[in-house]
Amino acid sequence: MSSNQLSTSSASEPATDKRKWANPSILAGLVVIIALLPLLLSSPYILHISILIFVYIIASVSLRTITISGQFPLAHGAFMGIGAYLAGMASRWLGWQPWLTIPLAAIATAGIGMLIGFPFSRLRALYYAMGSLFFGIGVIYIIYAGGTWTGGYAGLIGIGGMFGGSRVAYYYFFLGLALVSVIALYRFEFSRIGINLKAIAQSHLVASSVGINEGWYRILAVGVGCFFVGLAGASYAHYNTVLSTSSFNFMATLWLVMYVLIGGIDSFAGPIVGTIILILISEFSRDLKVFSPYLSAGILLIVVYLMPQGLVSLPQLIKSRLFERRKEKKISHVPGN
Amino acid sequence: MFLEIKGLTKQFGGLTAVNQFDMYVNKGEIVGLIGPNGAGKTTLFNLITGVLRPTRGKVIFDGEDITGRKPHTVAARGIGRTFQLNPLFANFTVLQNVSASFHLHPRSSLLDIYFNTKTYRRNEAYILEQSLEVLKLVGLDRVKDELAKNLPHGYQKMLGIARALAVKPKLLLLDEPIAGMNPDEIDFTMIGVRKTQQQGTTIVVVEHNMQIMDLCDRVVVINFGHKIAEGLPKEVRENKEVARAYFGGEHAA
Repeated sequence: MSSNQLSTSSASEPATDKRKWANPSILAGLVVIIALLPLLLSSPYILHISILIFVYIIASVSLRTITISGQFPLAHGAFMGIGAYLAGMASRWLGWQPWLTIPLAAIATAGIGMLIGFPFSRLRALYYAMGSLFFGIGVIYIIYAGGTWTGGYAGLIGIGGMFGGSRVAYYYFFLGLALVSVIALYRFEFSRIGINLKAIAQSHLVASSVGINEGWYRILAVGVGCFFVGLAGASYAHYNTVLSTSSFNFMATLWLVMYVLIGGIDSFAGPIVGTIILILISEFSRDLKVFSPYLSAGILLIVVYLMPQGLVSLPQLIKSRLFERRKEKKISHVPGN
Repeated sequence: MFLEIKGLTKQFGGLTAVNQFDMYVNKGEIVGLIGPNGAGKTTLFNLITGVLRPTRGKVIFDGEDITGRKPHTVAARGIGRTFQLNPLFANFTVLQNVSASFHLHPRSSLLDIYFNTKTYRRNEAYILEQSLEVLKLVGLDRVKDELAKNLPHGYQKMLGIARALAVKPKLLLLDEPIAGMNPDEIDFTMIGVRKTQQQGTTIVVVEHNMQIMDLCDRVVVINFGHKIAEGLPKEVRENKEVARAYFGGEHAA
């Protein structure tokens, strides 16, 4: 039931809404600051965290692409793992170069996603979430069963790196990849394709009665979402050069879901904001060790309780509070009132 | 015959919702489909439009067998419909509801859409123009920027019809279009339905409200999934079996 509510509310923003904060000059300024960051702070730790943020922004925004069609998959971490392991295995065992493995792994992930999406497109809401959850768990066991090929329980090692291991080069690579992916997914969501997906989420009966092919569009959304999460996973494999299932298990999927939920499910910027803030929080709370996830869980509860539209709604929430107060004052000044 | 239904049967487990149903609709007609609650009227619509798959029987539309086709292909053949409970794209504006419904006319390819080509922009401009025209026709052009969920009931019903018109239907299936409307809205809707018919659309309308029967060229009465009467509105009104179905007993109406 809750999954049903989540999926329908994802379409509640007007399809062609241009939000005020998305002011091009502010965005351009942000991009410049981010682009200059390695020159100002060359700490490898900060670069590493930034790279992780870029990787997970691609993953969480691509999860959103699926959720706007009213589907709430619980296997997105597993699809990231499919991309990562495919690229990693091609590099480790076939010696293929990253420029070949990354796009091929992304395409293969999209293909697997669409194949799985085909039977799943008949499921809705909770059943869809459950089905995808089991698929995600199954992927992990397949990796375990892969023995030497996948590295099994021990993990896959010896994946080829890029840029001679230069963190700064990796930083720019992932920055570029995240920018291109986010722009590509933005255009996808705010075109007629995205409108059709949001229409299906709101009423699949009405959508198909006006000629929208529900099954095909749902599979398309899964394909596009899986392509980009596969891209993120494959690039991550060539950055980390070591893979283990713990990065792609059910917890990893849950983190992606949290990024989307806490950031704001109704807004394109939601997953981006959610990813940045949650990764920063979990990094800064490293000292809490096992208690660190509780902090994120606490934040999830607070956000859901106070700002159902997620962290992105915070500025507007504050603004509307202030504005309302001002308005009340004005009314009290009306003569003869 | 424009629409022909032959021996259509739908069973849900042990319940037979529609049983050996035959019906035809000629081109350009308005046909009324009436019957008490649970008679199988909406099921019949769902069978025609592919939302449900019939257990037995055939649906032939415009010379083509469309039995068991998926809803979106049925829409592409030219059958538009409204829904009894009138679901909408609730979080879209009125205009977005209609323009999203122009999915088929004209249809842009995925690549055209994604790369925002000239063809796509031209199609979208055309769709906007058409949407505004449809909204004017149903009298919703003044509220085009409201969210659909914020509209009053009568307006939502009109929006449902506007959306069905966006399919450019050759055959329009209206499921209780005037239920819950006030008298002014009923008059307005009836004029609109008549106008749509005059523009060449064939219409089948399910309704409880006898007022709409005045519009119909022919009326078909269904009860417990069976056809129990058929004829001119006047004949049907005087039919004893129909009266029994609606009011029970021997001596009604």
